[in-house]
Amino acid sequence: MNAGADMKDDAGMDEAAGLNDPADVNKAADLNEAAGMDVQQAAAIMRQARERAQRQLAVRRPVLFLTWGLVVLIGYLALWLSVRGQHPFHGPTPPAVVTLIVLFVAAAVITAWVVDRASSGVGGPSVLQRGIFVLALAAGGFALDIFIHAASQASTDRALVVQLSAAAPLLIVGLVFVASCAANGILDWPRLAVGLWLLAVAAEGAWAGVVTYLAVCALAGGGGILMMAAVEPWLRRS
Amino acid sequence: MSDHGLDPVIHVPARLRIVVTLAALREGEDLSFTRLQDLIGLTPGNLITHLRKLEDAGYVMTDRTGNGNAARTSVALTRDGRAALESYTTALRQLLDSAGSR
Repeated sequence: MNAGADMKDDAGMDEAAGLNDPADVNKAADLNEAAGMDVQQAAAIMRQARERAQRQLAVRRPVLFLTWGLVVLIGYLALWLSVRGQHPFHGPTPPAVVTLIVLFVAAAVITAWVVDRASSGVGGPSVLQRGIFVLALAAGGFALDIFIHAASQASTDRALVVQLSAAAPLLIVGLVFVASCAANGILDWPRLAVGLWLLAVAAEGAWAGVVTYLAVCALAGGGGILMMAAVEPWLRRS
Repeated sequence: MSDHGLDPVIHVPARLRIVVTLAALREGEDLSFTRLQDLIGLTPGNLITHLRKLEDAGYVMTDRTGNGNAARTSVALTRDGRAALESYTTALRQLLDSAGSR
């Protein structure tokens, strides 16, 4: 049924239900239904309806953490493999960069599908909040792209540019996650934990030097997100 | 209230499912009629009938926006509806407890 056929007018609805005197017929039907429902059945209906609604209306975050954890792990590993042993250092090879871009696009498509599946038909403040969250990430990504191009033009130190470019996505995502973790009025521990972890990895890993830094981002950054994919359902239950 | 102390407006399987489903949303959020229908599994006619009962009791509010193919009907639980569900849940729990202790 499309949105245009959302709700028939009252006359059409009663006609469709075959009700000549809707009030009486509905009352009789209610009494029959309610009389046939004992408290155990009512409790079971409540539990099933609640579980179904939570399952269908909640964004499956473990899927998103798994998806983006794999992107960070495989993407940064591809970059690391392409620069490992380079003398002199000239940066990631085009196939490694293309791998990262393909992974990113695939993850973005999966994310859009997962979020749309949960939020379809839901209206209210969460729509605006989600829009601002996506806008913050997109603005960060856009600014990062300009920054990388400008830095590449301005600096002859290729290693520094690569290291800054590798750190920036983790810093941006980490900051957006931390800043937005309380947006729903409920402290979002998994998002806060991932955000702080990414900030720590991006900052502390930088001491390792550019080549090792890419491996650190892959293993610690991607690994941390993947770990959250595994424990998030448990955290939510507890 | 019915003789067992449960709100008769809510104590009907279809309406209980509707109210519990809407309560899963955060306060201030609403659900489109079509999505609610998907989640509850009722025909449009039955769903409208039950929604009207809940609306008459002040437990839900519906809002229709747009025209023609762009029309959207949204359904939301009111504060009274949320409070009624809490009272219903408390009463149900007490009945279950007393039945269990017998």
